[in-house]
Amino acid sequence: MTLRKLIFPFFVLMCQLILAQNDSITNLKEVVVSDRTLYSNNKSQSIQVLNDSVISKNQSSLTNLLNYNSVLYFKEYGRGMLSTVSFRGTTASQTAVIWNGINVNSQLNGSADFNTFTSPDFNTISVKAGGGSVSYGSGAIGGTVHLNNNLVFKNKFENDLRLDYGSFNTIGVNYKMILSNKKWSTQVGFSRNSSDNDYDYVGLYTWKGVQRKNENGQYATTNLSANVGYKIKSNAVLTFYSQSSNTDRHLSLVSESDSKTKYINTFSRNLLEYTETKDRFSSNYKVAYLTEQYQYFGDIESNFFSFGKSESLIAKMDFGYQVLESIKLNGILDYNRTKGFGSSFGDNTRQIGAIAFKAVEQYNDKWQNELGFRKEVSSDYDSPFLFSLGSSYIFNSFYNLKVNLSRNFRIPTFNDLYWESGGNPDLKPESSYQAEVGNVFKYKKFTLSETVYFIKIDDLIRWVPGKGDNWSPENTDRVNTYGAETIFGWSNTYDATNFAVNATYAYTVSKNVDTNKQLFFVPYHKVTGSFAYSYSKFSANCQFLYNGFVYTRSDNDPNEIIEGYPVSNVGFDYDFGLLNSSKLGFQVLNVFNQKYQSLEDRPMPGRNFNMYIILKF
Amino acid sequence: MKFSKFFFVALVSVSAFVSCTNNDDDKVDSGDYNEGILVLNEGSAGQGSVSYISNDLATFTQDAYTKVNGDDLLGKYVQSVFFDGDKAYIISGGSNKITVVNRNTFKIIAKIESGLVKPRYGVVKDGKAYVTNANTYADWGAPADAPGYKDDYVAVINLATNLVESKIELNATANRIVLENGKLYISEPYNNDKLLVVNPATKTLETPIAVGSKADTMESKDGILYVLRSSNGVASEIVKVKLSDKSMSKITFPADFKNAKNLDIDQNKIYYTVGTSVYGIAITAAEASNTAIFSYTSASAYGKMYGFAVKNNHIFIADGGDFSANSKAFVYSLTGILEKEFTVGVGPNGFYFND
Repeated sequence: MTLRKLIFPFFVLMCQLILAQNDSITNLKEVVVSDRTLYSNNKSQSIQVLNDSVISKNQSSLTNLLNYNSVLYFKEYGRGMLSTVSFRGTTASQTAVIWNGINVNSQLNGSADFNTFTSPDFNTISVKAGGGSVSYGSGAIGGTVHLNNNLVFKNKFENDLRLDYGSFNTIGVNYKMILSNKKWSTQVGFSRNSSDNDYDYVGLYTWKGVQRKNENGQYATTNLSANVGYKIKSNAVLTFYSQSSNTDRHLSLVSESDSKTKYINTFSRNLLEYTETKDRFSSNYKVAYLTEQYQYFGDIESNFFSFGKSESLIAKMDFGYQVLESIKLNGILDYNRTKGFGSSFGDNTRQIGAIAFKAVEQYNDKWQNELGFRKEVSSDYDSPFLFSLGSSYIFNSFYNLKVNLSRNFRIPTFNDLYWESGGNPDLKPESSYQAEVGNVFKYKKFTLSETVYFIKIDDLIRWVPGKGDNWSPENTDRVNTYGAETIFGWSNTYDATNFAVNATYAYTVSKNVDTNKQLFFVPYHKVTGSFAYSYSKFSANCQFLYNGFVYTRSDNDPNEIIEGYPVSNVGFDYDFGLLNSSKLGFQVLNVFNQKYQSLEDRPMPGRNFNMYIILKF
Repeated sequence: MKFSKFFFVALVSVSAFVSCTNNDDDKVDSGDYNEGILVLNEGSAGQGSVSYISNDLATFTQDAYTKVNGDDLLGKYVQSVFFDGDKAYIISGGSNKITVVNRNTFKIIAKIESGLVKPRYGVVKDGKAYVTNANTYADWGAPADAPGYKDDYVAVINLATNLVESKIELNATANRIVLENGKLYISEPYNNDKLLVVNPATKTLETPIAVGSKADTMESKDGILYVLRSSNGVASEIVKVKLSDKSMSKITFPADFKNAKNLDIDQNKIYYTVGTSVYGIAITAAEASNTAIFSYTSASAYGKMYGFAVKNNHIFIADGGDFSANSKAFVYSLTGILEKEFTVGVGPNGFYFND
């Protein structure tokens, strides 16, 4: 166990300077955030907030947003294809995606595919580094990514339409409408992003000298969302969040002769929530129903497919009591019933009950202490006792110190437990201890956060060849990961001119304890940077990403690596001033035509273009 | 995708021994990769590869194909090789292709990229190659009439044009293939309890031979086809099929002798493996021996004896390792003395003799 990260609450606002309103989000009475305690209860950890002005400067997939603006490292099976994350050197199922406070990682494989999420569907996207299993459950080991819809209670009628057209016949339609008054708030959204995705592979030719290109890579992602809030009385609000999505992808070929396959993911997420506060008491009730389904077509010409589906019912009660002015206690009861079925793992139901307790002491304006425990009981496995312990102390306007220690876990998935054949019903959850120390410096318009962390992960589940002819998962590996994260931000305004600079750097060492080898597909170095400039109605920005080399083999064979690569994008737009806002923009992506890939034999596109119109009315 | 990978794993899980069909008649003996042993590495997340060991064991090239042909993709799950004249045909089951190279220089000559669906093994007769194709796989627990159990076929490839010119539908599952006396004999260990017989001249199925389930490796000698069966839970056995009249006799194994694999005949001895041990018996024996010639040490949970062959007074063993890192090939004497070991590629599954 050891130390781990810290950071500070600052908002990275790229490109248009919007300012860090860390606390304001939770405090503004006219804005209701579904995940109320994300910011207020986690001051001992680093939370990076990407708001809509940042989101709009990036391509629509969540992969792109986070790849260029955070320390998260992504592996993509080609542009738009399956995309999984490694956060602080952990595996794809050790980062949890939290939709409006609810963990939505796949129940089937444990991970989240970041190319199935469309960033503009959300109002804020936050990246919380470090353990969070006490609050967010399974998978919150490396960190959590929070997708939030915020409901506004004031008189407002706003439409937001964005149309994109780019290379490879890439078409995007994103529309959002907000209709609200002091009692009601409604937000409706629609998005569809599709592409033929038949890009040339930079500098790659067949043995006959023919330019190679991305074949069978077409995709379409469609999302519908509706979020409604109703203020029953001044101290009680009922909210409903709903999202449906469909991602229909052909899977890019590695060799031209590969079988053409197709993969369809559908998700539906519904959450009903009621919150009431009275005197020193607060209560919050949540009921959520989530479904996920995949269909895999081993041959696109055939109607034959394999599939998996899960349906989860989640109920949560959270009672808060303000013991003293400085101390708030919360008791949480949690119930989760998930049914998983499909062509490869029968029909199984899992029930999990959990009890959690949290305390936050706000000793004074400068010092906050946080404590949490959680214990789960499950029909399927023994769960470790989880805890989180943290403190944030603001020494002065210049320096904030954060310390956090936690125990976190990742439960076995339906695939791990029940896959036929090979699933292992005797698995334990993966568990981790982690410690981090964060230093946040602020000086004038500069913010710099420097976090060091250590994570010790036990019982890592890995599929290994088992008895007979089947692979089977076992709690086999132990991993130590440690590193440092640096996040820098600066912005300033001179009359009509705005500048913003943001940068992140992650140094990550993630070693298998038994072999002392770096985990494959964990880069030692990742750097992102962005610069935004605006003058009056004109704005321009550039982005930079560097992923250091990664090993592709468990033995760290130096000949089997993916080399590091830099990728740069530039963009600019102009607001014609019609309606509330009418921007026409143009982007050049991978402007230096860099040849790169994040997985072996999965080349990404060279230089390509995108143009867009954003209308607000 | 994890699941499709698992299908593959199930598929490649049988250690690949090679029934070599050497048509050496027009072979030219020159080039860097002449007079040696080819080790196929099926690959895992990445592409497969071919390692080369010279016959005197003195020269070694870990990745001969890439060394000669640069970035060209050999394909996923390199399964097997067959030869014809100066050409070697490398079958990449995961990429539905056969790469044709000069067997002496390894320079690419052509690719056969259409008409193949998960190709497995091939033989050559009269300028045509006959390659088994696993086609689609049935899901675990699928009904017996699921397409995956019925759609395997033999692709007939015209070696002058390197095109698949026709298919012989098998209405069953198929894997290994042997050519003997003008007939094709096809085994498949998971879902087929018969040895399929195909007449390539008429491209028709003949009456299959009921050797029993789990028949996998096989080799013919002097008019007899030796087929090794390894049922889970019961003793293995070698079925001897007299091809002239299809009559069968057996070499029985001791009752506790299960999961034997890798049948290979060399110099009137039948070799096979159980676990990490190598056994040999006279070809005339009525019972199999349970006294090992030697054993090797393997840390591989699943890749023990992943490749095996006996030739030129050497016993060759490939260890599958962890299937994500380069693994090892070992060369032993016929009495079990370790002569040499080599770090080959990921998932080495077979040895082929280029001499």
